[in-house]
Amino acid sequence: MKNDRYIVIVGCGRLGSHLANRLSIEGNSVVVIDNKESTFENLSLDFSGFRIEGDATRLSVLKEAKLGDADVLIATTREDNVNLMVAQVAHKLFAVPKVIARVFDPRREEMYKQLGVETICPTTVAAELFLIEASKGGKR
Amino acid sequence: MDKTPVLIIDDEKNIRLTMSHTLEDLELEIDTAVNGEEAIEKMDKRDFSLVFLDLRMPGMDGMDVLREIRKHHSKTPVVIITAHGTVDNAVEAMKLGVADFIQKPFSPREIRDLAMSVLRRGDVDEQNAISYESLIELAARRIADREFHLAMEAVKRAIAMEPSQPEAYNLLGALHEVTEDELEAQRFYRAALDIDPTFRPAQSNLERVTSFFRNGGIKLVADGDETGEKP
Amino acid sequence: MKVLLVGGGKTLYFLCRKFTSSGHDVIIVDSDRDECVSLSRQLTATVVAGDGSDSRILDEAGVRGADVVLAITSNDQDNLVICQLAMRTFGVRRAMALANDPENATVFRDLGLDAFSTTEIIGSLIEQHAAIDQVRNLLPVGEGKVNVTEVSVDTGSPVAGKLLKDIELPGNALVAVIIRENETIVPRGGSSIIAGDRVVLITLPENHGKVIEAFTGERA
Repeated sequence: MKNDRYIVIVGCGRLGSHLANRLSIEGNSVVVIDNKESTFENLSLDFSGFRIEGDATRLSVLKEAKLGDADVLIATTREDNVNLMVAQVAHKLFAVPKVIARVFDPRREEMYKQLGVETICPTTVAAELFLIEASKGGKR
Repeated sequence: MDKTPVLIIDDEKNIRLTMSHTLEDLELEIDTAVNGEEAIEKMDKRDFSLVFLDLRMPGMDGMDVLREIRKHHSKTPVVIITAHGTVDNAVEAMKLGVADFIQKPFSPREIRDLAMSVLRRGDVDEQNAISYESLIELAARRIADREFHLAMEAVKRAIAMEPSQPEAYNLLGALHEVTEDELEAQRFYRAALDIDPTFRPAQSNLERVTSFFRNGGIKLVADGDETGEKP
Repeated sequence: MKVLLVGGGKTLYFLCRKFTSSGHDVIIVDSDRDECVSLSRQLTATVVAGDGSDSRILDEAGVRGADVVLAITSNDQDNLVICQLAMRTFGVRRAMALANDPENATVFRDLGLDAFSTTEIIGSLIEQHAAIDQVRNLLPVGEGKVNVTEVSVDTGSPVAGKLLKDIELPGNALVAVIIRENETIVPRGGSSIIAGDRVVLITLPENHGKVIEAFTGERA
């Protein structure tokens, strides 16, 4: 049953669409929300989920996506504050078991961890990888 | 034992894929059709225990497909797939007697629960339905039988048990529309919205009913003015 | 009291003026640099240009010493984050967020914030009015220059039991129709008004309040 989850993804940019395509091909039921319809062109032909055009900071849009049924919510828009708001609403109001938000500003991570929102900061993650690779270099 | 055969009629590959994938876990035998013509052809060859039908398809109109199915296979329960917010044909479809509606997007759980409840619905009747859920099931069964007044009774009993569910009021509103009592219908849509002002189905229903009234139901001109549209 | 306002536009300007004129210290954080320049010229407030949902900007603006933070930007998500930063990171006791989408007022409250929605406030004001004074505005005529209003007369009304000609009305007001049970009476000076009547009044905006007051006894 692992790949049979109901997953809501907010933001259909490069990261959002990539996740949506992958999770859909793995067999999950995926809903993508974006306020620009043109971003849905980023979805691949194998994407077998649903698209909702709308502003995810509006409760009615999240209800339309049946967020209450979701097993996972991933907020991937370019705006930290949108991601943080949607993630909190999903966690507190819709009791979504797993909530992940992309956050660009690493200083916000700590506070939101306390609020029950798991955040991933692409810059921090990338920096870690660079540091690991860099530490392998050097003349010895 | 033979698997229970289910037919999914939808032009969108996405929906056919998601639904077949989900329903296969229930040990059902899934067949699909991409349009009305193909569906009717398949239904004439064998009996299905359950049919999912999208009303919005290119080619043969979904409502015509439904009419055709109801005429020749009146015992086969049909579940209508609707896009969110669209209720244009819901009342008309209800008049023809459908088993249920499911709104896109849907979770795998929702599809499985709905399929099972429709397939099991034959067991529920006026005597054994005593919980809110079973009364709504009973109402759905009576709608499929086109016994709209019995359906209304069931919904009313359900509301008496749990008076704060907007869905039940919305359903009662739709049933009043089916029996052509638009004023009562409006009243129940409003009641649903009083409970949850963001409840979309009731919102769109109310908009539709009231705009219908504007366009021809209520007389907006003084008596004697013959240019006014009569209901 | 030290108030920190985050936002922009006219609402921010007038709120700030109101607070400073009642003797409060105001700090403004506005992301629009040009607006910041003109605000600092017009107002006696500290103005900081920058994104109020950035903790560095808030810190720089002096959020730590604020008694109240008000987030009134046009984006609900920003208002939420501003208030959460103020309270959780900087220990501000009170933070209030504007919910542009009225539904988000409830969302914010559920997330533990003080929230307000102008739509909600105006809506409830109108409802209160309608409920209090038994007055129903039927229709504005001539682009609002003439009002047609229906008033229910109850036993507490100053006109109940009087003859129409004995009721003092400001000029340019007219009692158009008296509805008594299901009968409609076109009034003359000798007609009386009794409790339970509904009266349709035609008024002009300048005398509307006084006329309604004459019929209900309440200030409209």
